[in-house]
This record gives sequence, structure tokens and C-alpha cells, in this order.
Amino acid sequence: MTDLDLGLGLLDHQLLDSEGRRCGNVDDLELEGIGEGEPRVTAILSGPPVWRGRGRLGRLASWIASGSTVRVPWEEVERIEAAVHLRKTCRELRLGRGDDRARPWIERIPGS
Amino acid sequence: MKKIFQVALGILAAIGGFVDIGDLVFNVQAGAKLGYQLLWVVVVGVVGIIVYSEMCGRVAAVSKRPVFDAIRERLGFGVGLGALFSSQVVNLMTLAAEVGGVALVLQLLSGLPYRALIVLGIAALAVVIWVSPFDWIERIFGYGGLALLVFAVAAIKLHPNWGDVAYGFVPHVDTPDKLVYAYFAVGLLGAAMTPYEVYFYSSGVVEEGWTPKDLGLNRANSMIGYGLGGFLSFALMITAGALFLPLGVEPELIGTVALGAQVPLGQIGLLLALVGILFAVGGAAIDTCFSGAYNVAQYFGWEWGKYRRPSGAPRFTIAWIVLLALALLVIMSGIDPVMLTEYAVIFSVVALPLTYIPILLVANDRAYMGRYVNGRLANTFGLIYLVVILVVAVSAIPLMILSHQGQG
Repeated sequence: MTDLDLGLGLLDHQLLDSEGRRCGNVDDLELEGIGEGEPRVTAILSGPPVWRGRGRLGRLASWIASGSTVRVPWEEVERIEAAVHLRKTCRELRLGRGDDRARPWIERIPGS
Repeated sequence: MKKIFQVALGILAAIGGFVDIGDLVFNVQAGAKLGYQLLWVVVVGVVGIIVYSEMCGRVAAVSKRPVFDAIRERLGFGVGLGALFSSQVVNLMTLAAEVGGVALVLQLLSGLPYRALIVLGIAALAVVIWVSPFDWIERIFGYGGLALLVFAVAAIKLHPNWGDVAYGFVPHVDTPDKLVYAYFAVGLLGAAMTPYEVYFYSSGVVEEGWTPKDLGLNRANSMIGYGLGGFLSFALMITAGALFLPLGVEPELIGTVALGAQVPLGQIGLLLALVGILFAVGGAAIDTCFSGAYNVAQYFGWEWGKYRRPSGAPRFTIAWIVLLALALLVIMSGIDPVMLTEYAVIFSVVALPLTYIPILLVANDRAYMGRYVNGRLANTFGLIYLVVILVVAVSAIPLMILSHQGQG
């Protein structure tokens, strides 16, 4: 991979699963080896509890919203363009569950 | 040949879809109060929306990322959330005002009670959104909005002094009340460059599956579509300047706007004006409603889009239904749609930089855009307009207070 600015090129970007479904954003990153001088990204974190680390408004939003943290191991990242493309479906990665929970409500309306 | 035909149809829809309640209110009031002297500001505003809609459309066609993705990526979680909140407040105000406008026009056409027509109008919009594919929605309302061209005929029939009209395109101040002049200038810029237009336009590019191959279409749509849409703004202001200014009429009602076509053209003029306003404002209601749903879905990374069908993007679907319901509550409270429009436009001006700065940054990012990054022309205009936007954003609310909302 060429140089990637983690703050600009990865954080807050859209996650897309292997079928092209939008399934959350890169809310935070899990880094390892910061003390050893060779930091590397080990996982992408997504979900409301992660927002707590994103400033004052993040803490507030995290307090209001419900949901759990999803950890996507770095090995599951296929490629990074404007969005982050993942190797598996969102169901396999347990992403996009908010949409799955909301779906039955919408399916009650004819023509959905 | 078929391709040219399709492009022409798209452009026609863009012209008809340009005018919304903000343009109606500010162009007609500016004409009634100050004559033609603010026509040049409409030109500035229209060029601005051309510059930024072309940029947003290009970013979306190349990267598949619409405006609010860029906002969150560039402003980060916290500031991005602030941008989301403020844009949603403005969207809701605009949506409620447009719905109120729909109900007022329906009332003039049918004579039924206003509140009943609000409910009917919202229900009709919800059904249209639910059953029609994305491009149909754009076309139905875009073509209907073309009936507003009746104001171009009206403007000519009213025999304005064309020398004065031409002088209006040269920046000059010919009124003792400079604050009123400045307030309407800011309002006209805000009405022409309302952020929801680019939220909707860029998401529409993704909805319709445009690729870099469609960049020519993107340019044509924004330049010709918005350019000629600006022509409708001129017609409204000239009509108001020729008719209302000499009479000292201050059009505080949507019906007064339609009078501008009735006086020179009779019943048929009135009918065309009302139909044009109905479709223009109704279409804008759907645009703002969708913009709100797009923004929240894009900020949080949810699945979105009309092309996904309602069950394919459930939270997005819930978002637009909730927005329609909230707009119903706001407008049923009895608030005056024209006043609500003025507040919505002025507040949207304050939020403009939060929308356009991230877009300018992303459009210059090679990692994002590859060889489709901004050229020198787009950047020159982009930067000039950034300065304009910042000045306008800082001065909008003080001007609203100091000029007593343009009352002087």
C-alpha cells in the first residue's frame, strides 16, 4: 500500500461490505505498537460506544445512541478508496445491524 | 440522438426544479421593494451554485461519495455532527415552509380549508415518494415547475423600462436604506445557493449511478439547468419590480406572487402561475425531505437511497417519514410559511461554509478524485465563492436584525 493519511484517508470513511452494502463508518481505529515506535492499525472500530473517544459532542452522541461496538480486524479490509471495502458481508462481520433491526417495521408497509 | 434527447429532458427538469419557496419569496420581495437593482446578485448566486453543484456532482460521480460523506470525513465527528444538526434544522424549516406553500396554493385553487390541505399535501407527497422511482420524481416536478415560465411572459407584457432592467445587472445602490439592500442581497444569495440543493444533487448522482463518463452531463445539468433556472429568478424579480413597486404592494402572501402573472395575462396567467408554484414548491419539498434523510444516513454510514427500495434502506426510509411528520407538526402550528422561509434562508446562509469548505477540499484530493481533481477554473471560482460565502455567513444574522428582516 502507498502512503495513507489515517486521519484524512481512513477515519470517518464509509464501510462497504463485499456486496457493496453500506454498513457504518470508520468511527475509530485500533492501533498497536505506539510505544515501540512502529505503530500499525490492527482493527477498525464502528458503533456508538466508540464515539465516546471523539470529543465532547461524541460523548454526548454516544450517551444518547444505543448499539454495540463492532471490531473489524484489519485482515478483513480488501482495499481503501474513497470508501473502505471489506472482504466479507456485513452479516458475517456483524455490521449494519441497525438497518436489520429497522427492516421489519418498514416491511409492514405495502410496496416496500 | 436519443442521448441528446435525454440530456435535454434532464436539463428541462433542472430548470423547472431550480425555483423553490426561498427563491419565490426573496426574488419577489426584492423586486417589490428595490425594483431591478439586485438582479446582479442573482447572477452572482447562480454562478455560485453552478460552481459548487458541478464540483459536488463530479466528486459524487467519480468517488460515489456524496456531500455529507465528505463533510464528516473532513470536519471529523464533532464538527461534522454540528454541521449535521444545523443542516437538519434548516432542512426541516425549509421543508415545513414548502409544505405550507403547497397547501396555500391548493387553497387558492380549491377553496378548501388550509389545515386540511396541509394534511392532504403531506399525504400526497408521501405517496408520490413511496411509489415513484427517483428519476420520475425529478421529472414530474421539474416539468410542472416549467409553468413558472409564465412569469417571463408576464415580465415582458408588463413593459418594464428595459434600460432600468439592464442597469440592474450592474452592481449599484440606489436606495437610502443600505441595510435593507444588504439584507436582500444576502437573502438572494442564500436562496440561490441553499445547501440542500447540493446535498440532493450529489446524492442524486449516486442514485442515478453516474460514473466519470457522465461528467459532461453533470456539467450541462449544472451550467445550463441552473443557469436557465436563474432566468426564472430574473423573471420573478422583474415582474415584481414592474408591478408591485409602483403600487407600493409588499407581497407577504404566496397568492400575491401569482397576481404578478394574473394582472398582465388574466385567468390563464394566474392558473399557470399557481400550477408552476405548486410543482416547484412541491418538488422542493421532496428535495429537502430527501436531503435530510440523505444527510443523516451518510453521516452515520447507514444504507441509503431510493434505488435501494424502502426495505433495502430501512433507517433512511424512517428518516424521511419522520421528517415529513415533523414538518407537518411545524406547519400545523399555524406559523406563516413566508416568514418561516425567510428564517430558513438566512439560517442556511450561516451554515453554507460548513458545506462548501469540505467539498472544495475533497475535490482537490488526488487520493479521492484521481485525474478528476479540480482544475484551475474550478479552484479559482471555488475560492472566490468561499470568500463570498464567509462574508455572507458572518453578516446574515446581524443584517436580519438590523434591517428588521428587510422592513427597514
